[in-house]
Amino acid sequence: MILSNLVLQICQVLCVVLLAPLLQGFILKAEERIQRSRGPNILQPYRDLWKLFHKQAVVPESASWIYMIAPIVAFTAMLIVPILIPVLTDRPLPQSDMGDMLGGGMVLTLGSFAIILAGLDSGNVYGGIGSSRAVMLAILAEPTLILVLVGISLLAKAMLPFVVNHLLLGSPSTYWSPAHLFLILAFFVLLLVETDRLPIHSPTHLEIYMIDEARILEYSGPLLALLKWASMMKQFILYTIFCNVFLLPWGMSQIGTPFGEFGSVVALLVKFLLVALVVIVVETVQSRLRFYRYQEPLATGFLFAVLAIVSSQLM
Amino acid sequence: MAEYLLLILFAAPLAAVALSFAVRSSRLSEYVTVLAAITDFVVSIPLLISVLSAPVTLAHNYIQIDPLGAWVIVCISIVYTLASIYAIGYMRLLNEDERLPLFYGLFSGFAFTMLAACVMNNVGVFWIAIELTTLISTFLVGFEREAESTEAAWKYIVVVSGGISLALLGTVLFYWGGSFVLGPSYAMTWAALHQAAPSVYPPLLLVSFLLVLVGYGTKAGLAPMHTWLPDAHSESPAPVSAMLSGALLNASMLGIARFLGVVRGASIDGFAHSAVVGFGLFSFFIASLFIVRQTGIKRLMAYSSVEHIGVQALGLGFGGVFGVAGALYHMLNHSLNKSLMFFGAGNAMRAYGTKDIPGIRRVLKVFPVSGTLWLLGAVGIAGAPPFALFLSEFTILRSGIGGRYRWAVIVFVIFLIVVFIGFLSHFRAMYFDEAVEPDIPRLSGSVWRTLPMWLAFIPLLIFGLWWPHSLWDIFSRISHDLMGGAQ
Amino acid sequence: MFLEHVNPLQASIFSSLAVVSLLLTFVMLGSHWLQNYVYAFAVQSWLIAALSASVGYFAGYPELYVIAVLTALFRGLVLPYLLMRIIGRLNAKRELHAVLQPSSSLVLGALLVMFAFVIANHMNRQSFLAAHVVVMALTIMLSMKFLGFLMLAVRDEAVSQILGLLVLENGIFLGSQILVPGMPLLIEIVILFDLLIVVACFGMLVRFLVVHAGTTSSRQLNRLVG
Repeated sequence: MILSNLVLQICQVLCVVLLAPLLQGFILKAEERIQRSRGPNILQPYRDLWKLFHKQAVVPESASWIYMIAPIVAFTAMLIVPILIPVLTDRPLPQSDMGDMLGGGMVLTLGSFAIILAGLDSGNVYGGIGSSRAVMLAILAEPTLILVLVGISLLAKAMLPFVVNHLLLGSPSTYWSPAHLFLILAFFVLLLVETDRLPIHSPTHLEIYMIDEARILEYSGPLLALLKWASMMKQFILYTIFCNVFLLPWGMSQIGTPFGEFGSVVALLVKFLLVALVVIVVETVQSRLRFYRYQEPLATGFLFAVLAIVSSQLM
Repeated sequence: MAEYLLLILFAAPLAAVALSFAVRSSRLSEYVTVLAAITDFVVSIPLLISVLSAPVTLAHNYIQIDPLGAWVIVCISIVYTLASIYAIGYMRLLNEDERLPLFYGLFSGFAFTMLAACVMNNVGVFWIAIELTTLISTFLVGFEREAESTEAAWKYIVVVSGGISLALLGTVLFYWGGSFVLGPSYAMTWAALHQAAPSVYPPLLLVSFLLVLVGYGTKAGLAPMHTWLPDAHSESPAPVSAMLSGALLNASMLGIARFLGVVRGASIDGFAHSAVVGFGLFSFFIASLFIVRQTGIKRLMAYSSVEHIGVQALGLGFGGVFGVAGALYHMLNHSLNKSLMFFGAGNAMRAYGTKDIPGIRRVLKVFPVSGTLWLLGAVGIAGAPPFALFLSEFTILRSGIGGRYRWAVIVFVIFLIVVFIGFLSHFRAMYFDEAVEPDIPRLSGSVWRTLPMWLAFIPLLIFGLWWPHSLWDIFSRISHDLMGGAQ
Repeated sequence: MFLEHVNPLQASIFSSLAVVSLLLTFVMLGSHWLQNYVYAFAVQSWLIAALSASVGYFAGYPELYVIAVLTALFRGLVLPYLLMRIIGRLNAKRELHAVLQPSSSLVLGALLVMFAFVIANHMNRQSFLAAHVVVMALTIMLSMKFLGFLMLAVRDEAVSQILGLLVLENGIFLGSQILVPGMPLLIEIVILFDLLIVVACFGMLVRFLVVHAGTTSSRQLNRLVG
């Protein structure tokens, strides 16, 4: 039993690691299709990673050990988080009580923190700009994130994602309560910000608009591959949390048979398809905001979180 | 009897409105307005007497004439009369004869809404009447159509509508609180609310009362919600200023007084009175500061209105027979005195062609007679004997000195002294400064512009020397109604 | 009080209508464009009309249907139409010099909602099943009050100030439909008409402002001070 649970847990992590590029590829492809161009192949991110792993790494002279270690820290952090959250099964697996949602959030933030340090460490001008912008965004997003967590714990009386999942599955009245709907909206804003999407992040690859990409401009070869992979995994993880904990808590394996696991992988992909389509629509209709208006979507998110908390008190 | 008097009271201004708009002759509308005003004044006194023994209820309980309302009607119709006489002399100076019918139509309409508010027995309808006074008077404030008066009108309607909506919220909450006692659907009369108040959950009652106090306080010009008042009073034509200050503020104070009556006996009664005292003192404080450093003549008068509304609030807040009687007496005296002051200010403004105090010098040279009246009025409004305001302020002081607001009385006296010095030093400058010899053509004396000043001044002097016993009876009756015969 | 007998379904209908109205107030608060305010206001009025109708249906007050129709007609159609006409005449499409950035006013508004909630919680003593609907109605009533005043304070354009006042009134109307559906019909109707007159007056005043003061932004109305 323990062994099968362990296997399941490894499967969860592997699922994240292996499917993350697919999600990225799908989003890129669909975005281009909506704008009536052909777009890259859906498997293109895998090829990119493959290519980068076979290239030579060039390290700037000014870089220190932080530069070398940051991609590994970021990648490892993204390997840890899937253990804590419901990816395939809706029951806690043996190691998933290592941390609650706050813990998972901290591990995720550790990954971006490492990249911020690396951006500063590389000595590149754009690296510095990217890091400072990313920090500013993190500061702006932090209150919303904390309020969302507070809102969840008020709703479910617990900080564990599995409890929230069960609560939403069990009581439709909670699912349709204003508190929960506002939480979904608030988290959606966070999702857009954290996964490098419009209206904050630029889709064009110009240095002056870059935020997250600017931090890793100096990387090349396998290290760059690790970083890119880590950011795809972060996106995958956030989508997973959004779908399995907030928006669509259905369609997850309960016992853990191989067939059930396969079913929940398929379900996960379908859910992602839906969310990704919404994200793409937002991306297409929104134009990028000026630097000084970054706080607007985040203020909206904050507002939703506050409304969620207030209305959770009214239930 | 009372219903016929009320009918005449309402019909007269309405007829004036109709005639002004229908005939569109400026002369006719002037005289019709004066006639309507005098009719109202003549009718209002028997109306007051007829309801002294028992309030009269009409129109399915929507209208109730009680002594308090009738008293405010008397004050309003006095100001209406004086202001409509003065308006004949003043408005002709504006050289806008073709717009005069519009002016008089609005003027009588304004008077009508205020008079109507006084007899409304339904709290919601009372709110509507007060809101209507705002809407009509906005156009009177902006009548001169200069940049300043338009600005004043805009500020007036925005600030007052915003404030008065708080009163509506408070009213709805009062109704909700009452619905626990009286059932989900009942007639929202003052008496019904009063009956329900003691059983309403105290925090709810408290919030409702504060909302209502702030709402009607905005309309009454209590600080810090007074910001519209100096602008509106200083930019409107002088007769309108007199109406705003002498009549409208009274009608709004009526709302506060009635709500104080509603919560009497409830657990928040003491706090409600303290809140009214607090607003009164703060208005006094703000007014005294701005009076000392004022440069506009009509703004000076406007801040003096803030001060006197503060005094009335103090009287109501101190409570007791003396407090209420003092506040009501003050209402009448302030109406008379402030009309006198605005009329004088209007004359001076027209003669010197400026609203600034530094531009007005050697007034006695220009207006030997009406200037003297104006100066005596200033002495009176600053609170000096032998004028009536001294008597009423003294009564309010006396009511406060024995009770729990002793500290407020001390502060009150200090501010009174500040206002006295500040106000009269402006008049000293205008009358006796040797600075420049004014070189202005004497304004052709018009009996329309001096007569109302005499009409205001004479009763002011009389009431200052002699407080009629019959008035005292009326006040003790009203205070019995309001305060449940305390003291 | 009929709220003592509502079932969860009715309670959730009332709360969702009210919460969405509150959200529309935030749309007004967070937008730069005057037209958006008017649209948000119109939708809000329709929601309030729906609320009146549903309260009337569930609580058995047929006269509320009249109110619902009038609300939808006046607040949902006539007032927005009048406002759009004013905007069209003014040639002022957006708020240029807001005192507060939209994002700051959103955050401030969120805090005000919390404050309103605290007050509302103190004001309610009921403990029956649907007591949360009462607290919610009070909260939203007070929040819309606060938000309306916030709009009045941080917006300069004449039309935004009119809309701020209308939001104040909408808040009261919304709350009173839930809390005191038995309020006499006459009063509610008169208040509705009163609002129409208010806006007509504002329209005329705005025209005066343009002609005589040369601006519709209260930022320029600074001659009278002291």
